[in-house]
Amino acid sequence: MTREKLKGAEIVVEELKNEGVEVAFGIPGGVLLDLYDVLYKDDAIRHILMRHEQCAAHAADGYARVLGRPGVCIATSGPGATNLVTGLTNANMDSSPVVALTGQVPTAAIGSNAFQEASTFTITMPITKHNFLVTRTEDLPKVIHNAFYIANTGRKGVVLVDLPKDVLATRADLNLHPKETFTGYKPKIKPNPVQIKKTVEVLANAERPLILAGGGVISANATEELRHLAESLGAPVVTTLMGKGAIPENHPFSLGMAGMHGRIYANRAISECDALLAVGTRFSDRLTGWQLDQFAPEATLIHVDIDAAEINKNLQVDIPLVGDAKLALQEIIKWLEKKKATSPGSVWVQRIREMHSACEECIGDVRREGTSLSDMLIKEISGVLDDDVIVTTEVGQCQMFAAHYYITKKPRTFISSGGLGTMGFGFPAAIGAKVAAPDKRVVDLAGDGSFLMTCQDLATCVENDIPVVVCIFRNCYLGMVRQWQELFFEKRYSNTGLGTIPDFVKLAEAFGCYGERVEKPEELKDALHNAFESGKPAVLDMIVGQEDKVLPMIPPGGSIVGMIGTERCKLI
Amino acid sequence: MQTHIISLLVENHPGVLTRMSGMFTMRGINITSLTVSPCEKEGLSRMTVAIDGSESELEKVRKQLSNLIEVVKVVDLKEDKAIIRDLCLMRVHVKDLNARSEVMQLAEAYGAKIADATLDSVIIELTEEPKTIDRFVDLMKHFGIKQLFRTGVTAIGIDTGVEK
Repeated sequence: MTREKLKGAEIVVEELKNEGVEVAFGIPGGVLLDLYDVLYKDDAIRHILMRHEQCAAHAADGYARVLGRPGVCIATSGPGATNLVTGLTNANMDSSPVVALTGQVPTAAIGSNAFQEASTFTITMPITKHNFLVTRTEDLPKVIHNAFYIANTGRKGVVLVDLPKDVLATRADLNLHPKETFTGYKPKIKPNPVQIKKTVEVLANAERPLILAGGGVISANATEELRHLAESLGAPVVTTLMGKGAIPENHPFSLGMAGMHGRIYANRAISECDALLAVGTRFSDRLTGWQLDQFAPEATLIHVDIDAAEINKNLQVDIPLVGDAKLALQEIIKWLEKKKATSPGSVWVQRIREMHSACEECIGDVRREGTSLSDMLIKEISGVLDDDVIVTTEVGQCQMFAAHYYITKKPRTFISSGGLGTMGFGFPAAIGAKVAAPDKRVVDLAGDGSFLMTCQDLATCVENDIPVVVCIFRNCYLGMVRQWQELFFEKRYSNTGLGTIPDFVKLAEAFGCYGERVEKPEELKDALHNAFESGKPAVLDMIVGQEDKVLPMIPPGGSIVGMIGTERCKLI
Repeated sequence: MQTHIISLLVENHPGVLTRMSGMFTMRGINITSLTVSPCEKEGLSRMTVAIDGSESELEKVRKQLSNLIEVVKVVDLKEDKAIIRDLCLMRVHVKDLNARSEVMQLAEAYGAKIADATLDSVIIELTEEPKTIDRFVDLMKHFGIKQLFRTGVTAIGIDTGVEK
């Protein structure tokens, strides 16, 4: 506890340092001059100047997902703050801990339509876990402390702090580093023992148990527990998109991603199981399909989630278990061991083996009939990159190819926009990931449409020496929408053709990056090698088929058992 | 579909009303009545919200409200376990002496007060359960209601009270 007369901006920086903040992604502006003056004098916090506020939010999000602690972004009032909105919504939808600081016009001018004024507090209310408009300098220590506490506890999320210019400029005599929080905020983490016992009872007696792992498993750092449970129970694991990395995807019990663009056997396992332990997932429509009565119809559903509001929200479950995924899994393991559960029937184990190897065959066979250039490239990439590489994705076909064929082996190495589906996310998220883990290689699997939404931040990479590699699947289309138009709108390609695409190699070079074109999948390995060896941010322009499709898939309105485009799968 | 009454204890901060009502808007639920005032606890306010919806919608709303950082407590008040009141002020037209005396008799029967009177109208004040007020309003329509104001419901749990 210190008592000094500090400027509001100095208090903010002191509190950020106290929360362990080392990096912030942002762009300054008129009302933030006081804050940026402190950042200039005090180099404890590395500030990375982005070229668009949306990218600042995505970078903070990517940083947070790699490290598991809050990423920080900063934007000025008005347009700075409104530009953050997409990035913050994205982070909050995926329960990623991000703290956003925004400048605001002086308190006396609020509501007067002053220059660069927008009501950031009301605009961001529905897209954040919580937000603050600070009106007194004295409130800053408590607000900043609570912003980090709320963002990083319970179901993690985004907290925004709106900082009027005068609040930052005024000096105040106050105690730093407060501890007090909100009386109504009690992030419940301990699971109820009665529910644990019910869960154990069901799992111990199940003949065909299955585990469904969502992003919550990774967020709670519970991947070791998950693998342990799967092995001791003899239960296979399917994941959501956000759950990719919750179990090594080459593990014999891993059946990969389930859902609309999931693997056919992941979906089959959901239909066939008699007990489903879902951990840290919200049963989004992209997982369940649209006919909920066909989702795990034979199973007793157990739902572990830290957010009580997710229980029975999208799907009615039999056993709700509210609590931290790590603690819940530890308890389940402990009680199962005491019970000496019999392992599931040999029929189920045999079935899982068959399903696993059928999938392996499809994934592993690069030259399988009907395989597109996109399939081949992503399989090639998956084969070349080592287990520690962090992969981010844009949104659309490139993302689903990656979800399908990129074999993720470690948690926090597959970073994608799950809930919001934000095109332009992958590249700035890669920047955040690389800053979080400078020793690891970071690759963004991108589409041409997505990359063009945020590519200006190549300048940020060059300026700050952030050598990420962007691999563009260039099909000159907004590919996923085009695919739907092909399949469901009789090939009427309304506004999905991108026409003249810029020369991505020259674009990269214009920014001072490394660029190379990949015309055939076999050229990819060398191109990736060259990109990493260049030591620069790099762009690989990979030419793929214009009509490449992500298949199989659940068609709109369909159920988890009604996948189309399964001709390419080995059916058993 | 039925009316549910939710009693909330919230931090008395600027924006908390917007945050709370925004939660209902986001989930497509219509608030039929809302009252807010400070309460016996320093720094906290009590909100009484009435919504129309099914039991399962109520359950979702209750959990989402609990998730709001500034919400301290959420109680779903059941009609038979709460005292529920609404305050109504209305200006009723009285065209002649006959009407005036009829209106005043009915008001008395309902336990309403005459808060003010002019030559051709009276202002009636009634605090009652919403359903009783509905019936009284229907009666007064026969005479001609010029203006009607209702505060919306406020409610308190019986037995040990809302808070334990």
